[in-house]
Amino acid sequence: MISPLLVTLTKLILVLVLFSALLIILQRNISSLFNLYGAQSLLMAILAFMLFAHNGQVVLLALAILTIITKVVIIPYTLHKVQAGAAIKRDVEFRYLTPVSSVIIGIVLIFFVYYVLGKVLPTGDTLLTMGAVIGVSLSLMGMMIIFSRKKVITKVIGYLVMENGILLFSLFMAELPFIIELLIIVDLIIFIMLAVVLALGIDSTVEDFNSRLTAFTTWLKR
Amino acid sequence: MILLSYIIFGAIITAVLLPLALRSRNVSANSTFLNNLNFLTIVHSAGYLGITLYIMLRVPLPAYYFKHYLFIDSLAVYEVLITSVIFLLASVYGHGYIKSLLRAGELKAEMLGLYYSCFNLLMASIVFAFFSNNLALFWILLELTTLFSAVLIVTLGARENIVAALKYVFIASTAMLFSVVGLIILFSMTKQVNGTGTLNWSELMQSAAAFSPSAFVLAFAFIFIGFAAKAGIIPFHTWLPQAHAKAPSVVSTILSGVLLNCGIYGILRLYAIAARTPSQHTVSVILIIFGVLSMALAAFSMLPRSNIKKLIAFSSIEHMGLMLVGIGLGTFTAIYWTLFHILLHSLIKALLFFSAGILHRQYESNKMLEMPNALRLQPLASWGLIIGSIAILGIPPSPVFLSKLFILIQVGAYSPPVLFLVLVLFLIVAGAFTFLLIRAFSRHTDDNIPTYHAHWTMRMPIVALFVMIIGAGIYLYTGLGDILTQIVTGLGF
Repeated sequence: MISPLLVTLTKLILVLVLFSALLIILQRNISSLFNLYGAQSLLMAILAFMLFAHNGQVVLLALAILTIITKVVIIPYTLHKVQAGAAIKRDVEFRYLTPVSSVIIGIVLIFFVYYVLGKVLPTGDTLLTMGAVIGVSLSLMGMMIIFSRKKVITKVIGYLVMENGILLFSLFMAELPFIIELLIIVDLIIFIMLAVVLALGIDSTVEDFNSRLTAFTTWLKR
Repeated sequence: MILLSYIIFGAIITAVLLPLALRSRNVSANSTFLNNLNFLTIVHSAGYLGITLYIMLRVPLPAYYFKHYLFIDSLAVYEVLITSVIFLLASVYGHGYIKSLLRAGELKAEMLGLYYSCFNLLMASIVFAFFSNNLALFWILLELTTLFSAVLIVTLGARENIVAALKYVFIASTAMLFSVVGLIILFSMTKQVNGTGTLNWSELMQSAAAFSPSAFVLAFAFIFIGFAAKAGIIPFHTWLPQAHAKAPSVVSTILSGVLLNCGIYGILRLYAIAARTPSQHTVSVILIIFGVLSMALAAFSMLPRSNIKKLIAFSSIEHMGLMLVGIGLGTFTAIYWTLFHILLHSLIKALLFFSAGILHRQYESNKMLEMPNALRLQPLASWGLIIGSIAILGIPPSPVFLSKLFILIQVGAYSPPVLFLVLVLFLIVAGAFTFLLIRAFSRHTDDNIPTYHAHWTMRMPIVALFVMIIGAGIYLYTGLGDILTQIVTGLGF
């Protein structure tokens, strides 16, 4: 039997996750975005750990550790490091949506997802419903970040938020086998590296880009 | 363990190629460095082709490997056969083409190592994507194909290439993330039915009948978003024309002839599962609507084009739409001819892009209206383009006529208004091709343009493709037909 305290705590963290997503939508300073993403990932890891405390599945524990290593430490660290070398510090360009309207649409999205998933999910399990709804809403918000921000580096954050949303969804619906989760994360890291290298290419001149790409390949060789 | 031979062979090639490729240095177009890389690539694809042919002739199918994570069945082998043929031709063509790009300074010598390693990795990841029995593994390998092909697009290093690659990576990866949501729903559905969750095609097929219809449609819709983006289906097609037009012609061939097939393959497998659930009808309607919309969008976008590679790219969207309609019809005949269409589409797209590549080297442009005296200067490439266009339009001597005819008969049986719509769209597409080709090849100038001498490795694949396209039509009645029948019955139609 799940203890009521644990359920309340889980719900609290879910709300915090949602809150972090809204902050990411509003934030314009790029390095704060990375920190926010790191904090959000930490919340994911805590959630995975709490679910492990519920049902004792080792996969969840492994997932929590993996999340901390990759998404709380490695990815934000790499992004910070890359950012230090780039000229842009703030992303103030928006397409289609301003941050405030994004937040409003984000809230509408949550109700929409609740309506759609409510038809499919088994009724009665409020924790499952809440986790699934917030997970899918989080990925939709990530997608909103991808198409409303102009800088590629913030688009990358949007993509990462989407991925966190999917992780959340999978935590509450059904955990995929660990090997698959691991491969998905490896995949994610390669994607980030590629996108960041390309992003630098787009934000700088082409000659700059070529030299950076060469530097990147020499780094890979080591 | 015949599958191991792919892995071992690929690993040997990688072990030789990667250290070589990573030692990037300033090389001239004729260096042994470049020749070695190219030779290894040709051996790699030829090896895959050889193993695939051996499997087709000798190995009893389906066979499962690595705890059912990987498998070989007739559909997978058929797709791998197409893949390895196209890759083999592309790597032969690449021998002359890459040298030519190097000489023109469009490709930097430092990029060669990156280009060849990604080319080979792309080939391996596509082959294993087809061989993966597990949907999640298929998803992962499909993501890898996006990454490697995006790198191949940027090897040219121009700003437009980076923009095209970024657009491609973001649209494809974002859409593919939605697929994961679908995969998780599917996984939890099998958990409810079987007790243990699974994403293996073979087991999904068995437990499909017990799935709840509304949940399955939801899962299908999510997974479809990702696979449709990979196949260039509307509304996720926006990356496709730009990526195809900006990439070097060898890469465009791979993108159009092989990579789009991966998305369609995933959708076909998924539909085979859907056909065993009560929700088959809903899924069919979804596929047919998106298919017809893609064809309509492509047809109208093709009319004003004068960039030949963009035209061919939109034609790919149109054909992916047709294949989607074919799959959505879900009858034995429709699937049979869709599979045949996949083969021909790949071959003809390779022919078109190879020809366009030679013309691009001659005129340093893809704009068809800036190519005076093309027929005289580059007769092979020009005729390749003309015959390829006739073939892709499905004008009778071309085997595409058969596949289009039989799919259309099925469309007519499904709904006459849709048939009428599709016919009108075909007419527009034919108009677009004819309009551009007649204007392009009737241009003359008295200026003396120096002829670009295409290396024999660039001309040979074009001739080989002529033979293969004709051969596919003839062979259909002697052996290919049996293989196709076997695949369609294997899928349970």
